[in-house]
Amino acid sequence: MATVIRPRSLPRSASKVDPVAFEAAVRPHYDNLVRRLVLVLGDPDDAQDIAQDAYLKAYRSWSRFDGSDVRAWLYTIALRLAFNQLRGRRRWLAALHRVEPRGWADPSDPDLWAALRRLDPRTRSALLLNVVDGYTQREIAVMLSVPEGTVASWLSRCRASLREDLGRDR
Amino acid sequence: MQQHEGPIMDPIRPSIDSDLRTRMVALEAHAPVNEGPPPLTRAARRGRLVRSASMVTVLVVAMAATAMAGAAVVVTNLAHGYEGVENPGQPLAGANMECMTPPQAAAFLAGRGYTGVVWQVESGDPSANGKGTTSVLQSTPPAHGFVVPGAILGDGHLHMVIDQQSGARGAGDCLGQSMP
Repeated sequence: MATVIRPRSLPRSASKVDPVAFEAAVRPHYDNLVRRLVLVLGDPDDAQDIAQDAYLKAYRSWSRFDGSDVRAWLYTIALRLAFNQLRGRRRWLAALHRVEPRGWADPSDPDLWAALRRLDPRTRSALLLNVVDGYTQREIAVMLSVPEGTVASWLSRCRASLREDLGRDR
Repeated sequence: MQQHEGPIMDPIRPSIDSDLRTRMVALEAHAPVNEGPPPLTRAARRGRLVRSASMVTVLVVAMAATAMAGAAVVVTNLAHGYEGVENPGQPLAGANMECMTPPQAAAFLAGRGYTGVVWQVESGDPSANGKGTTSVLQSTPPAHGFVVPGAILGDGHLHMVIDQQSGARGAGDCLGQSMP
């Protein structure tokens, strides 16, 4: 199994409203956050918007950050914003009887991207946090504000779905 | 029975689980990052929603300006009229002067303070492309003719039109009656 690189912890002394300290701690995670949001939301423009909102929100909340895992903290803020936006957009699309736009397409691994897109965004984000980032089910449950059992169920279903889709595609 | 450690893999497709992380990492690496983070000094958000809201504001302002400009053009192109003194709410509303002779109308107006009346007498035959008609302004009322509801023009005087043209049929309640 591939080695999972866990995010470095931020010293508590940096937990103050200081732009320099904030950027030094958060900026290195920003590009990966945008990429993650592209996979969760399926739309680069939406991902960019949510990432920027999350970045500013994180800055405003910097004094309340506990200094433990800045990436998890940033991702938590961004994913919650993303899910709120998705809920609003679905209501809007439903009201207008419109379908979800197709969004980003990755030609490098279309099978995997198609399989991931078939997953619900929340379960997709849980899978990414687990498989790519190595967060545990308990950590993911805290980040997404859902019970740990729910995360376990999501991950199980995700893996089964991916096995089915990717096995069928091969 | 064989013991498994870690995730249970499909024996037919064992590589699916093992290379999933590699493929997902590669997939995520291909996702575009078009812009960096926003400056922290900027209070306003740069989200597309905010940009859209700004665009909506600009659009609304533009539409309002266009509507005002259009209304101005319409107003400019409209024929300039004056409020009829016999129109509802005006001083001579309900006077029914169109059923009076011009001298009767003059007396009626004088009794209500309209002493500086300008009488505009239209006469002749309008069927000859207007060449056979005349329009005369005078300070005294003519002896006969249809009284047409008057108007206070820009000079502040009450203008009363007296129609003496051939074929005139009157106006208002006395439309179609014989010319006084």
